[in-house]
Amino acid sequence: MKKQRVVVICPGRGSYTKSELGYLNFPSPELAQAIKYMDEQKSVLGEMTISELDGADVFKGSIHTKGHNASALIYACSLADFLKINREKYDIVAVTGNSMGWYSALAFGQALDHQGAFKVINTMGSMMKEQLIGGQIIYPVVDQEWRIEPSKTNLVMMALEKVNSQTGSEVYISIRLGGYYVLAGNRQGLNKLMELLPKEGDYPFQLINHGAFHTPMLQEVSESAFKTLSPKLFHKPTIPMIDGRGVIWTPYGTDVDELYGYTLGHQVTEMYDFSCAVTVALKEFAPDKVILLGPGNSLGGAMGQILIQNLWRNINNKNAFTACQEQEPFLVSMGIAEQQKLVI
Amino acid sequence: MFNRAEVVDTNFLKFVKEWQLPPGRSQNAFKDSGLTAAEAIDLFESQVISRHLDLQARLLKGKNECFYTIGSSGHEGNAVFGKVFRKTDMAFLHYRSGAMMVQRYKQLAGSTPIYDLLLSFVASSEEPIAGGRHKVFGSLPLLVPPQTSTIASHLPKAVGAALSINRAKDLNLNTVMPDDSVVLCSFGDASANHSTALGAFNTAGWVAYQKIKMPIVFICEDNRIGISVKTPERWIERSFSSRPEINYIKCDGLNLFDVYIKTKQAEKIAREQRRPVFLHMETVRLLGHAGSDVESTYNSISEIEKSEFDDPLLHSSRLLIENNILTQDQAIDIYESMRERIQAVANYVITRPKLLSSKDVAATIINTKKLQEAPKLLDDKEREKIWGRDFEKRDKPHHMAKLINWGLTDIMAQYPNTLVFGEDVAKKGGVYHVTDGLLAKFSHKRVFNSPLDEQAIIGAALGFAHNGFLPIPEVQFLAYIHNAEDQVRGEGSTLSFFSQGQFNNPMVLRIAGLAYQKGFGGHFHNDNSLAVFRDIPGVIIAVPSNGADAVRMMRTCVKHAYEYGRVVVFVEPIALYMTRDLHQEGDKKWSFPYPELSEAVELGEFATYGSGKDLTILTYGNGTYYSLQAVKELEQKHNIKTKVIDLRWIAPLEKEKILAELKESKHVVVVEECRKTGSFGEALLALMVEYMRPLPPVKLIAAEDCFIPLGLAATSGLPDKESIIRGCEELIGITK
Repeated sequence: MKKQRVVVICPGRGSYTKSELGYLNFPSPELAQAIKYMDEQKSVLGEMTISELDGADVFKGSIHTKGHNASALIYACSLADFLKINREKYDIVAVTGNSMGWYSALAFGQALDHQGAFKVINTMGSMMKEQLIGGQIIYPVVDQEWRIEPSKTNLVMMALEKVNSQTGSEVYISIRLGGYYVLAGNRQGLNKLMELLPKEGDYPFQLINHGAFHTPMLQEVSESAFKTLSPKLFHKPTIPMIDGRGVIWTPYGTDVDELYGYTLGHQVTEMYDFSCAVTVALKEFAPDKVILLGPGNSLGGAMGQILIQNLWRNINNKNAFTACQEQEPFLVSMGIAEQQKLVI
Repeated sequence: MFNRAEVVDTNFLKFVKEWQLPPGRSQNAFKDSGLTAAEAIDLFESQVISRHLDLQARLLKGKNECFYTIGSSGHEGNAVFGKVFRKTDMAFLHYRSGAMMVQRYKQLAGSTPIYDLLLSFVASSEEPIAGGRHKVFGSLPLLVPPQTSTIASHLPKAVGAALSINRAKDLNLNTVMPDDSVVLCSFGDASANHSTALGAFNTAGWVAYQKIKMPIVFICEDNRIGISVKTPERWIERSFSSRPEINYIKCDGLNLFDVYIKTKQAEKIAREQRRPVFLHMETVRLLGHAGSDVESTYNSISEIEKSEFDDPLLHSSRLLIENNILTQDQAIDIYESMRERIQAVANYVITRPKLLSSKDVAATIINTKKLQEAPKLLDDKEREKIWGRDFEKRDKPHHMAKLINWGLTDIMAQYPNTLVFGEDVAKKGGVYHVTDGLLAKFSHKRVFNSPLDEQAIIGAALGFAHNGFLPIPEVQFLAYIHNAEDQVRGEGSTLSFFSQGQFNNPMVLRIAGLAYQKGFGGHFHNDNSLAVFRDIPGVIIAVPSNGADAVRMMRTCVKHAYEYGRVVVFVEPIALYMTRDLHQEGDKKWSFPYPELSEAVELGEFATYGSGKDLTILTYGNGTYYSLQAVKELEQKHNIKTKVIDLRWIAPLEKEKILAELKESKHVVVVEECRKTGSFGEALLALMVEYMRPLPPVKLIAAEDCFIPLGLAATSGLPDKESIIRGCEELIGITK
């Protein structure tokens, strides 16, 4: 039987929550080896190990969401899922990710080996260990049926402009995330934004322990990353990778220096366009399925919204998406046990 | 045997695997190119994508899913152009530009070339540029206006666009292309023979010879054959290697590195020296002219196989493998994985929707979205400064030529991106002095003479318009339009249609025309047919009958061109330019004061003279003038009440309003100054016959189907006061 073509999506920060505790608890020699390596490295660094974090009895926001803990933990969970995919049945034709999911995508595309991946992920995750630079909030720009509402996007744009016109305030679009904008900035700017944006349920929602990722405010982090991480960690990928601008990095045509430059430069200091990355994955690879790796399923909604934005498979609203998912899921979320069974 | 697509496909795999690769023709090597290994592979990948798109088009055609199979196979060397030139260098491309487009797409993060191009093959309404109306290479963010042309009709506008870049800089205008852009324009060896192409080369040289900046790269992709007609050996080189002012550079289209080196040279000349270049890329054509073309009917199998062995993809593979950039297996892996990927996208794309109704198809003929607001009107103080002493004379009655001249003055002052150009329009002020004084008022940057080539004039207007200008070109006489007709018909009028309004080429094309010149000029200066424009969808056609209307109508035309990107043909009746009187010498009833700035005649708005119901005359232009003379006498002689409707606009036509105005008319006469066959008058007659119930007696008084002679008989075949009176009397049943 012909293999199904799949695109793999790697989640970013915030995907590991209390329900994911124990996520890594399954037998896989390759995973065990990777975790062993990471745990050893973590111990050397004096940080809690991944095994400790995942094996904790209680999820503690103050511990589990801290960058230096969360990043490698999320990567490990994604790796676990990635390794579970049945490669006899599924051919992974491209990988992409959201935000720090890009680092995971680099690893699964084999542009970083296990050691390199850990080095990059843990280093980037620990960059603001002492003090976070700014923060992130998330805000929806869709209607009840998950269709983009231009009036809401306009509203966000106007709010950003207004806040930025005030002395001492600095805000940016950090991530285009399906039907949401993740907005980032300094404390004063975000406070103003929170005041200006009309309340909609829990939104605008502040993301705990998140910095002003993907904004020029992280210029120093980027510069420090270039100093800390060697370009030698990077290789040509074996699977096409789609970055946060929607650029495809092909197995042979990739310029490794440029990949290194993008990952520690533009990717850190400029907006991450997850919507665009997924759109490119859909249109340029036309996968039979899209597999969203765990932990969790926090990108599931955003993915559905991106499908709607592209009228992909004629999915034009939330109901159509739900119906499609119930019938034969096009989006397989490995963070959902039922769906995970479909691809392992 | 006949499926050369399969042969070429199989050959690639076999020849790369078995290392049976064609020897190189040129010497330039990887190390000389300045490309990195990754860049070389990236170019190769674009070539492979383009090839598989071609192969996929053939497969889809076999399933009745593809409607266009002219491909880029053999021309994949053009991928380099997509790399060397910036995405802000406007590109007018011919239909074998697949690899070039794919590579150019890569300059735009997040773009989806495979998906977009496959949508175009299957004519899906979701295709981003033409929306399923044609398979074109086009993209707004990549600054590639869509071309459907196969006859080099895109070259004149490319020249215009190139000329516009430095002009915009000189005028400090904020236009589409950055100041240091160049324009590129590709075409085949066969279409390089086209008079349109040759006119464009000539214009580029003519301009550059005068030390005016002309940053254009003409790219001739020479595959040595045009459908079945072989280009004579070395003809392109012989023809273009020593043209005045145009640098000639030849490259080997089968050698990526050679193409890259030579293209960089061409780019440098165009970008830095702002001079025209003719870049001659020698290559091969594979898979015949199109899917339906069986090449073996006119080429021997050995000739076909020779070209196939010179497949650019085989050459690229050899170059990459020889330089240790790829292995044989890797080249094959790139080729095969791309096949699979494109097949998957194709399988999806065929499920996407198609245009089905004529209403949907026609929805993009006119851009309906306002692009920008017209600039504010100038105040009298500002105007007076520009007008000079004429400003005091504007309230007195004047003839049409003077009023249009003042109308243009106000328009050029209000719209800083307007340009007036054509033959003799600058210092001489036009043959009829309509542009008199504009040069002094607005400088040679905005008012300038063109070479004596109407194709170049309208082509330049299109190109300027692509870059954000609003050209008001002049064609000196209506008969001169015919050698340039396609610039309006095939290019200007279709741009909105084939780009869903994303690209527009606004212009107000002024043409002095029509007959009644009292014996002078003969046919070529009195041509009286507008049929050449009337059937072109979306074009506005204005024919004012008097100076005041001309000014008010031109204001509307310029506004619609500016705000909606409309293409306007503004026909000025030569015989009425200097006409002052209507009924008798000295009555000055055809002279008018200059209309207030706020006044305008809206599109389709007609003028009504009188309100009688016994007889209505439908007419325009000179017909209005003679009809008004005729009805005065008819009313006096026969005690009848009349109405004359001056339609003013040939297109668009307010059909319902016209029919409503005719409703109570007992007799309707159409007075048509143009040749009867194919005339507007015929269409008006048809309109009445089809929709008027009850249908009153109707009659068409039109010009004879004859050319206009010199001398005394010049107006003999045209409607005039007497023939209109006679015709009306016949219709009404009045006998002498």
